[in-house]
Amino acid sequence: MSRLTKLVVGELKRLVRYKILPVSLATAIVWIVLLLFLSENEAREIVPLLICVDVAAMSILLLGASHHFEKQEGTIKTMMVMPVSPGQILAAKTVGSMVLAVESAVVTSAALFFIHRITFNYPVLLLFVVIAGVAHAAIGFVFSLISRDFTSMLGLLLAYMFPFTIPSILFSFGIIDAKYEWLLMVSPYHSASYLITSAVTGDYDIAMVLAGCLYLTVLAAVLFKYAVYPMYKDNAARG
Amino acid sequence: MGVAFSVKDVYFKYPSSREDTIKGISFDVHEGEIFGLLGPSGAGKSTTQKILIKLLENYRGTIEYFGKDLKSLDNSFYEEIGVGFEVPVHFSKLTALENMEFFSGFYKKTADIQELMERVGLWEYRDVKVGEYSKGMKVRLNFVRAMLNNPRVLFLDEVTNGLDPRNAMIIKEMIAEYRDKGGTVFLSTHLMNDVEQLCDRIAFCVDGRLVEISTPRDLKLKYGKREVKVEYRENGTIASAVFPLDGIGFNDEFLELLKSGKIETIHTGETSMEEIFIIVTGVELK
Repeated sequence: MSRLTKLVVGELKRLVRYKILPVSLATAIVWIVLLLFLSENEAREIVPLLICVDVAAMSILLLGASHHFEKQEGTIKTMMVMPVSPGQILAAKTVGSMVLAVESAVVTSAALFFIHRITFNYPVLLLFVVIAGVAHAAIGFVFSLISRDFTSMLGLLLAYMFPFTIPSILFSFGIIDAKYEWLLMVSPYHSASYLITSAVTGDYDIAMVLAGCLYLTVLAAVLFKYAVYPMYKDNAARG
Repeated sequence: MGVAFSVKDVYFKYPSSREDTIKGISFDVHEGEIFGLLGPSGAGKSTTQKILIKLLENYRGTIEYFGKDLKSLDNSFYEEIGVGFEVPVHFSKLTALENMEFFSGFYKKTADIQELMERVGLWEYRDVKVGEYSKGMKVRLNFVRAMLNNPRVLFLDEVTNGLDPRNAMIIKEMIAEYRDKGGTVFLSTHLMNDVEQLCDRIAFCVDGRLVEISTPRDLKLKYGKREVKVEYRENGTIASAVFPLDGIGFNDEFLELLKSGKIETIHTGETSMEEIFIIVTGVELK
């Protein structure tokens, strides 16, 4: 088993032991119950929002919880004096965060199929969930690394959600005019939302999809290289 | 014996600090010795250790690890060193054995986990979650964690802090055995008992500088008083007298006291490591 695989297996084991995966599954079950009470059309409309909330907000939240718990335990420092690179450690943590996002998408998609017989392009949804998930994992890392504790991280998450998430939700309810959607794509949440909605509904503008994929990929790459990686090393050294 | 670490004129400044935390330190850690770094809180001991274990890299000056520039070494450097941090560093929701198996899985060369855990008295508690361990048990597990990869150089920070005397003795015996087998130890501590019992050489760090590097014996000679203190019984009470050590064999008063048979205790004026610490650093131990 390669070192990266061992790190990933360790992350997954801890996601279970620290009750992070069970909490994520419990959230997915709440979505399933919700879907039971919705019509087919309502379900198709709301599912992208549910997946997006899990991929964006929930994964940031759970990543922050996991980071601050590990910081408290001092394990970040001890991992840095093992023959693994900080890049491998971050990659393993990102995969762990991806598992949460993919688990939510899989459970919600399965519920949609079994309750309403709705199917869609699953590989495309998976691809978009991964792209959106990696970008939001990077955002989650930044919030975790610049916050002192979990409570201050929650404050940062709320500060992020107000300007970036609420306009997107208002847009999805038709309160913001469609002509402003290009502008909204600056919000990582809205880009993620656009990609996930397009995969579920099959209704999309190719230029917007490409812009969303490119933006989230570049955002993730820039954040990991210039913010997450150096801050993680600095954080570990300071203990 | 070679030189494990050769540190020459090293300076380090934290990005958030205005002045250097480490101000031009130079020392060698020889292979097969226990080198102690002592100093008051905030003197730069932890920073020095973090530089040596490559947690902090933007230092000025040169550091060689067995003749190779420390900055040029990749992560395989960690195959050769073991680090025991002062605070516990384990996943609290995993058992002690799960923690040790997880960490040891990353090394090419590993020690026998059972043997190490048995030696420190933790094997019977291997399936207990670390979160349920006492402070002393976590400290012992920290030591096992540091020894997992049969390291060539062992870094220990306050290794017996929080241990009862029996367990502290076991850990110290293990460290001495490790040294006797050729291992090198870099020990930072404020516990003078550990220093006296373990260290071959010690360095005192004060305000980012090394103010003294020597062996415990030489330090005691240097800072000790060359005198003999005698306590004796006189008229039903205890009296004492101090005599210069030089020429004591010709000191009539001293010889008279010896002949009188009234002497209860007799000590050379050895200075304790605590006293030396205070003299050298100017800071009292807490």
